[in-house]
Amino acid sequence: MSRKAVIECKHVSKTFYTLSGDHLVVDDLNFTVYENEFVVLFGPGQCGKTTVLNLITGLELPTKGEIIVAGEKVTGPSPKRGMVYQTTNLFMWYNVMKNVEFGPSVRGISKKERRKKAQHYIDLVGLTGFEKHYPVQLSGGMQQRVGIARAYCNEPDIICMDEPFGHLDAQTRYLMEKEVERISSQEKRTVVFVTNNVEEAIYLADRIILLRNLPTSVKKEYTVDLPRPRNYVSPEFLALREEITRDMDPTL
Amino acid sequence: MKKSSIKQKAGTILLPAVGFVAILVIWWLLVSFTRIGLLLPTPLEVLKRFIYFLGNPIGKAFTLPMHLLISLRRVLTGFCIASVAGIIVGISMGRFKPIEAIVRPIFELVRPIPGVAWIPLAIVWFGIGETAKTFIIFMGGFVNIVVNTYAGARHVDERLMGVAYMLGASKIQAFFRVVLPSCVPYIFAGMQVGLSTCWMAVLAAEMVSSFEGVGWVIIAGQDINDMAQIFVGIIAIAVMGLLLAAFMRFMERILCRWRERGA
Repeated sequence: MSRKAVIECKHVSKTFYTLSGDHLVVDDLNFTVYENEFVVLFGPGQCGKTTVLNLITGLELPTKGEIIVAGEKVTGPSPKRGMVYQTTNLFMWYNVMKNVEFGPSVRGISKKERRKKAQHYIDLVGLTGFEKHYPVQLSGGMQQRVGIARAYCNEPDIICMDEPFGHLDAQTRYLMEKEVERISSQEKRTVVFVTNNVEEAIYLADRIILLRNLPTSVKKEYTVDLPRPRNYVSPEFLALREEITRDMDPTL
Repeated sequence: MKKSSIKQKAGTILLPAVGFVAILVIWWLLVSFTRIGLLLPTPLEVLKRFIYFLGNPIGKAFTLPMHLLISLRRVLTGFCIASVAGIIVGISMGRFKPIEAIVRPIFELVRPIPGVAWIPLAIVWFGIGETAKTFIIFMGGFVNIVVNTYAGARHVDERLMGVAYMLGASKIQAFFRVVLPSCVPYIFAGMQVGLSTCWMAVLAAEMVSSFEGVGWVIIAGQDINDMAQIFVGIIAIAVMGLLLAAFMRFMERILCRWRERGA
C-alpha cells in the first residue's frame, strides 16, 4: 500500500543573508510526511527547527530546493497550513469562541456553520463551557488548547506545532501531551510537531525525524511503533530514548 | 469579615469625607472670623446660590443646568471630531511609515502648544461664534488622542498579524480584527485625557467670548463682582468634570473587558 505524501521537502536549503555574513541554516533537507501521520521534528536547541517549520508554512522561502504541500508548491503563508505556537499567540480581545472561529470567519463561512464547527473543536480540546472566556482568564494549558482548536478549526491540510508546550510547567506538559495524543487519535490530521524534548517526541510521534545541528538536515529517522497510549518508562520507550539521545548532535 | 468591610468603608468613604469637611470648616471659619469674608462667601451661601440657580436663570435666559448642557454640547462636538480625527491620524502614523515620516515632525511641533493658545487665532479665523469654540476644544483634545493612538498602533504585535494572515485574513480583515482592537486600550487612555482637556478648553473659550455656558457664568460673576456665582460656576465645572471622567472609565470597562482577569 503506497501512502499519500502530503509534505515533500526536496533538497531544501536556507541561507540568511545578514550584515554579519551569510548564515546557512538549512542544508539540503529532504523528508516526506504522509497523510495523517504525526511526525516529530526533533533536534538540539537552536538547530534550525523553527526555520524548517517557517519554510513549511511559507513564512520563509527556501534559498534552494522546494517544498510541496498537498500537491502545491509553498510560495507564502496560506490558511491551508495551520500553526500552533509556543507563545499561544491568541487574540486577547476575542473570547475562546471568536478565537477558534477566526479562520472560518475571515474566510467568509456563514456564522451558523462556523459556530458549529468551532463548537466541535472547542469540545474536542476539552474547553466546553469556556466559550465566552477571554484568554487572560485561562491557564497556560487552557490557552494552548485554544491555540490547537483554532488551528484545527481552519481545517488545514497540515498542522504545524512549534514547541507548543515549551512554556508550560512539567505537570501541565504531561497532561497536554496526553491531550494531543487523544485529539490526534480522534481527529486524524497530518501533524508536524517540533520539540527538543525526547520524551515528548517518543510519546507522540508515529515517526521521529532527527535533525543535525546547524546547518540542519536529516540525520536519522525512527519509526515509533510502540502501542498507544505509550508508557514513559516501558523498556522499549527507554531503549528508544537512549538510542535517540546517543545519536543526537551535542549542543553548546 | 464584617470588621474588614467597616475598615474598607472607612478607607473609601470616611477618610475622604474628613478631608472635605475639614476644608469646609476652615473655609467657614476664615470667612466668619477674618477679613477674607469681604472677598469670599460662606460655604452655605454658595450652596444656597447653587440650589437657587438650579431653577432660576443666571443672566438673562438660562438656568445653571442649561448653561452646563450648552457647555457639554460644545465639548462633545469638539471631542467627537477630535476623537475621529485623532484616531485616524494616530493609526495612520503608527501603521504607515511614509505618513509617519511626513506627519510626525509637524505633529511634534503642534503638540506642545496648549489648547488655549489657539484662542486668539481661532477668533481671528472663525469669529466669536460656535466654530471658534469647537476649534479650540478640538485642538485641546486632538493632541492627546493622536499621541496615544499612535503609541498603540506602533505596539501592535507583528506576530499576531502573522497569525491572522496564516489563518487566511486579508489586510483589511487583519486591520479591523487585530490592529484596531489592540489599539483600543491606548485610544481610550487618550480619549480619557482628551475629554478632560476638552472640558478645560471649553471653559477657556467661553471665558474669552460667549453669552452662555459655565465659563460665561464665571466671567459674568467676575463682571458683577458676585463671588458666590463664581464659586457656583467652579463647583459645577468640577462636578461635571468628575462625571465625564467616570463615564469614560465606565465605557473603558465595557470595551476593554478582555484585559481583566476577574471578569
